[in-house]
Amino acid sequence: MNLKTMPREYRIRFLPIDRTIPAEEGENLLEIAMKAGVHINASCGGRGACGKCRVRIADGSVESSPHSSLSEKDEAIGFRLACSSSIKGDAIVEIPLESQVDRSILRRSAVMSDVDAGAIDRSLLCQYGCEALVGRYNLRLPRPDMQDNVSDAARLMRCLAPRIGCEEPLVPLGVMRDLGGGLRETDWNITVNVATGGQMREITRIARGDREKDHYAIAVDVGTTTIAAQLIQCDNGKEPSGNSYDDARRGRMILATSSDYNGQISYGEDVISRIMYARKPKGLKKLQDVVVSTINRLIGEIVEEAGIDPADISHIVAAGNTTMMHLLYGIDPTHIMLAPYTPLTTAFAPVVPRDIGLDPGEHARLYAIPGVASYVGGDIVSGVTLSGMTESNEVSLFMDIGTNGEIVLGNSQWLLCASCSAGPAFEGGGIQHGMRAAPGAIEKVRVNPVTLEPMILTIGRTKPLGICGSGLIDLVADLFLAGVIDRNGKFSTDKPTERIRKDASGREYVLCFAAETRIERDIVLTEIDLDNLMRTKAAIYAGCKVLLENGGLAFTDLAMVIIAGGFGHSIDVEKAIAIGLLPELPVERFRFLGNASLGGARIAAASRAFFERTSEVAGSMTNIELSNNTQFMDEFMAALFLPHTDEKAFPGVMKGMKIGNR
Amino acid sequence: MAFEIPKIKYTGRIKEVEVGTGPRAVKVGGATCYPFYSFEGDMPNVPKVAFEVWDSPPEEWQDWAVEPYRDVIGDPAAWAKKCIEAYGAEMIVLQLRSADPNGENKPAEEVVEVVKKVADAIDVPLVVWGTANDDKDSELLRRVAEVCEGKNVAVGPVTDKNYKQIGAMAIGYGQVVMASSPIDVNLAKQLNILLGNLGVSEEKVIIDPTTGGLGYGLEYTYSVMERDRMAALTQEDAKLQFPIICNIAPEVWKTRETRLTKEEDPKLGDEKKRSVLMEAVTAMTLLVAGADIVVMRHPDSVSLVRDMIGELCA
Repeated sequence: MNLKTMPREYRIRFLPIDRTIPAEEGENLLEIAMKAGVHINASCGGRGACGKCRVRIADGSVESSPHSSLSEKDEAIGFRLACSSSIKGDAIVEIPLESQVDRSILRRSAVMSDVDAGAIDRSLLCQYGCEALVGRYNLRLPRPDMQDNVSDAARLMRCLAPRIGCEEPLVPLGVMRDLGGGLRETDWNITVNVATGGQMREITRIARGDREKDHYAIAVDVGTTTIAAQLIQCDNGKEPSGNSYDDARRGRMILATSSDYNGQISYGEDVISRIMYARKPKGLKKLQDVVVSTINRLIGEIVEEAGIDPADISHIVAAGNTTMMHLLYGIDPTHIMLAPYTPLTTAFAPVVPRDIGLDPGEHARLYAIPGVASYVGGDIVSGVTLSGMTESNEVSLFMDIGTNGEIVLGNSQWLLCASCSAGPAFEGGGIQHGMRAAPGAIEKVRVNPVTLEPMILTIGRTKPLGICGSGLIDLVADLFLAGVIDRNGKFSTDKPTERIRKDASGREYVLCFAAETRIERDIVLTEIDLDNLMRTKAAIYAGCKVLLENGGLAFTDLAMVIIAGGFGHSIDVEKAIAIGLLPELPVERFRFLGNASLGGARIAAASRAFFERTSEVAGSMTNIELSNNTQFMDEFMAALFLPHTDEKAFPGVMKGMKIGNR
Repeated sequence: MAFEIPKIKYTGRIKEVEVGTGPRAVKVGGATCYPFYSFEGDMPNVPKVAFEVWDSPPEEWQDWAVEPYRDVIGDPAAWAKKCIEAYGAEMIVLQLRSADPNGENKPAEEVVEVVKKVADAIDVPLVVWGTANDDKDSELLRRVAEVCEGKNVAVGPVTDKNYKQIGAMAIGYGQVVMASSPIDVNLAKQLNILLGNLGVSEEKVIIDPTTGGLGYGLEYTYSVMERDRMAALTQEDAKLQFPIICNIAPEVWKTRETRLTKEEDPKLGDEKKRSVLMEAVTAMTLLVAGADIVVMRHPDSVSLVRDMIGELCA
């Protein structure tokens, strides 16, 4: 490990609760407090607008920006705003009276973050090698002379064959026509793109000069709700060296990332309504155009951000659910929604992206991670392969919480998968102020169990726009543990706070008052939101339960539970357990992968062997159909309660609840 | 070695719930075995038949259903007394049909007067069955709990929508609640947990699993009750260890098969005999599935069911 790159670590002690936790140089004080389970009132998302998160620095110092709510006198005696303070040394931080909570009811948080993608990428590239799906090779051909006057093409093959391990790659006519002039004008120094397609290799482009380093690919996760795209720097054929410089450089494999709502949302929120639309005259073409234009826009953004020449994009790898892939390729998805739910295909051969309307040039190739069944698509295969569960003998459970909840159980020898129509609550669907994990989304929440005042952090630390999945989990868990939400997901009526109020459609909790938001309306959590969230979490838990029983296993048999999904950059596992979304297991058995579909597509773009592995993984999955499964319905009803109807499955939560409820 | 009959190992016990007061109070529940499996455990309290009485003259009743009560049908208190005195009723269920917002929609106060009259007129336990409209029952059954103070009546159906309002009053006035859920084990359990969290004592809860009549979903109720009992007795599921009541009569007597006369469909045979058998078979089936109280209408079907209970418990 390279010590120089490690930020310095300090100790922050919070008073009067007397809890000390380590923090890194530059880390935000409000985030540290949240990590430590120390409550500080905060309602503007960490932007420094509300002035509520006052703390006193009793000893040591922090880097703070001044704020109008703090008088000179306040500042002189050490008052600062936690959200505008960052760490530059050891410090003792005093929490003022208005923010204090009885320490017995505070729980430490078990937040897991997806920021460590770099480490996973490195280890996977070590394992699978980094020969990209479309390779880019700089060749310096020996000049022909009278002794050696074989054709230009043969000369090229002679140089190329040992590098790609293939004697006779295809050379399309258009590429062949470019060859002659290019070779002579650049003094026999050219760069060749070679695409993989099953057993075949094909030369897709010949560029002049040495362009080997200008080798980029795009990974796309085509989600029902959200589309995410990443620009990847390919590192063709160079094995990770273990050398810290090279490894650090590989940490920069991701050059830019962008995401947006899938433009198809206007045509229906879920896959079924999209399929219905696709069956209308010209509907399929319309949906294809819309998703393609969303992807093109994202590609445009990331290419611009990284400042690269779009012509150097050699390939795209897409991962998406089966319906999304049908729509992207313009294939009729009708039978995905009709029993017995047969997709037209789950594997898609490489195509020229332009053939379906995507921007990258004629020479680029579009690959798709293969799927398994109508409701278990390439996005899941991509995530499962990324998670590494298929390389271990121990049994793990993989769950992707998106618009649908897909789950996979198994190990290196067998895999069972299922899809439960969970609904899009954790991606913001069906939640009044729900939104995807984008800047302005409330991603972390703590609620003071006594005063019921919230502490929130937003993505990008801006004024809040709405709540994303991780914030929703935090909020519901804390309100539940504080006794504000009953076990059937309804607000209890006897809590004295202006934050709980009743309107025509039922009760709601005000997380942010209008003045603190960017939408100039109160951000609230309603009972209808709670209903939708309960259904989503119940479907996911029930699906896991049924899958485990099909495998003859219980939750306690799992070595690892891997959580993926675009509901935020992090998940607090204990909060997710408290609402019964995740099973009650020791925290160290959980792993959070974030957008695993995108992650898998990224590695596949950079590593041909990984892409090939995804086919094997897809082939080894056995799909369990839940849509007509009576056991699933029964488990679903049992899970439609907080945390669950079976109290024995959540002993820790039940205990925590009793403390919370006096 | 002598042959030994294999026996089920029970780990749970149904809670004993008392309804009514005084010498004619009725205890239900308390079993430590499946229904009538007295060779495997105890069934200390024999299942009970409760006679239904309507709070206003029923207009849609078949003539052969009205027949036994023709002289008292306009006076609920007299009707209840006739059930007790002439037909030996051990419990009375007063069905508050006139309060139904989809029907007469009588105001709660007016209906409560009738409840009070009936409660004062009888010495057997009273069960008060609301309209199954959550909002109306919430208002109505709260008042019922109040005016029946000291009589230990059972009030219901209590649902997840109105359990707080009705439950709180039931606690306050010491009444029994009938926790009603739509034919689902988990929902039944959830409501029992909610009532427990509210503070309703475990000796004050009876489960209403929702009843289907013979040919109209009886099998759903049957298997849900079976599963309730399996969870309660063999899986130590404390939140399901409560007696069960089945409000059979209104379900059976509204079916086509109890309405058509012999003239209208000769294949179906005598209408009275047919209806009585429909009711008796429904009740017998649900008793075998685990019902502790069955609510019935016709004295003839009651007598068939009593014979069966007597023989099975002999």
